[in-house]
Amino acid sequence: MVKLIFENAQGSRQIVDARVGDNIMFTAVSNGIAEVVGECGGAAMCATCHVYLSPELAEIADPKQEIETEMLDCAAAEVTDFSRLGCQVQITAEMEGMVVHLPESQV
Amino acid sequence: MLDLPINEAVTLADLTRDPYPIYKRMRAETPVVRMAQTNRILVTRAEHTKWIKETPEIFSSDDPTTPMKPAFQAQTLMRKDGAEHRAERMAMQPAFSPKVIRTDWADLYTRLAEDYVSRLPRGETVDLFRDLCGPIAARILAHMLGLDEASDEDMQRWSQTLIDGAGNFGYDPKLFELSDAANAEMNALFDSLISRHRAEPNNSAFSTMLNARNPIPMSQVYANLKIAIGGGINEPRDALATIVYGLLTNPDQFEEVKRQALWEDAFEEGVRWVAPIQVSGRRTTQEVQIGDVFVGPGEAVMTIQASANRDETIYGEDGELFNIFRDKHPHQAFGSGPHHCAGAQVARRTLGQIMLPLLFDRFPNMTLDDPAKVIWSGFGFRGPLNLPVTLN
Repeated sequence: MVKLIFENAQGSRQIVDARVGDNIMFTAVSNGIAEVVGECGGAAMCATCHVYLSPELAEIADPKQEIETEMLDCAAAEVTDFSRLGCQVQITAEMEGMVVHLPESQV
Repeated sequence: MLDLPINEAVTLADLTRDPYPIYKRMRAETPVVRMAQTNRILVTRAEHTKWIKETPEIFSSDDPTTPMKPAFQAQTLMRKDGAEHRAERMAMQPAFSPKVIRTDWADLYTRLAEDYVSRLPRGETVDLFRDLCGPIAARILAHMLGLDEASDEDMQRWSQTLIDGAGNFGYDPKLFELSDAANAEMNALFDSLISRHRAEPNNSAFSTMLNARNPIPMSQVYANLKIAIGGGINEPRDALATIVYGLLTNPDQFEEVKRQALWEDAFEEGVRWVAPIQVSGRRTTQEVQIGDVFVGPGEAVMTIQASANRDETIYGEDGELFNIFRDKHPHQAFGSGPHHCAGAQVARRTLGQIMLPLLFDRFPNMTLDDPAKVIWSGFGFRGPLNLPVTLN
């Protein structure tokens, strides 16, 4: 388990226990983070698990594949260099205490 | 481990008329069951339907015997898996993205909605299903696909003909003759529009697919457009009619929705309550355990999202009711997994942010004087067939 911090667009934070090997979407949804929807269940087909990684987290996360880049284009909120689909980012032990920022809206 | 139970009693006619009491009983007693009449396995619990759709390796969309193929004159992306499906899907997905909805469609759809709503006669009783829900769904889709030249009537007729052909499991040649004729009309229209979309590209699905850096084959461009026609009119049409029915038959909720402008909540609850697409088909690629039973390879499995959306384990005992104030839980009206509805975001915005507020701003005191006159129908697709409302 590692601690992951979800921070919403208003700046309020929630700390959750995340299992190494799970992805960010699954972790958020199973911990009741309402700002992550994950409607397609992790198939990278709906762009409703859009998150912004903190720079330190972006540094160590697996890089984006083409399918993710393509689908991110369909996200509701602004897409930045730190944008990821939560379902495509696997949690590792090195992510302990790092921050995931949540967008204003997923739909 | 239990043997797969068989239900000899339930018929497609029963499920077309009023499926919900049947599904409620199935969820409780036989959540995975072979329906003898169709020889298909119905899966009615939310955890199973979601898992099946998210596990395409075991539950494939590829069905070589599907009547969709003759109906659409092509194997469409709905019946493909993996990279092949994704490539065709992503070729048109940008046309349905929130970004393009914002930049291209929102203003146009607002104008179209205003236009269609302004044609409705105040003070009179009209069939809102026929006079608004169908035509506006057709017009919006025509623009989104880049088929502006097609009339509302043509779009609706093509859509229904394709649906009838795709559901033609009895392989009645008459239905395929009709879908062949519709295909010929659609092909002729598409042929005539290619030069316009090449010369003046826009963000419609047709333009996007034609002008992509690595375009998919033209046959699949056409098949995609047809899938969008077959699958993009009756869902928003039925969703709109269902939501209006839900609001007008629950006056307390209706008042609160107007007061607080909760149109997006009304949208989500409407499509949860009566999902416009009730059922999806998958084929098992291997023996697999679903719940307490084993299902063999090569079996046709129907996930019943209509039932999943009322599952007691998620919605408690009142899932059968339209209640926009219920605790928010994800529903499966748009499906899940790789075939998650490509039009989900468009539908939410078009109905929840544009159509519903606009319609009830103009007719805030709309009434449905006799709800018993509304006829509900459908197994695969479901919604009201009429909606006689008085416009005030």
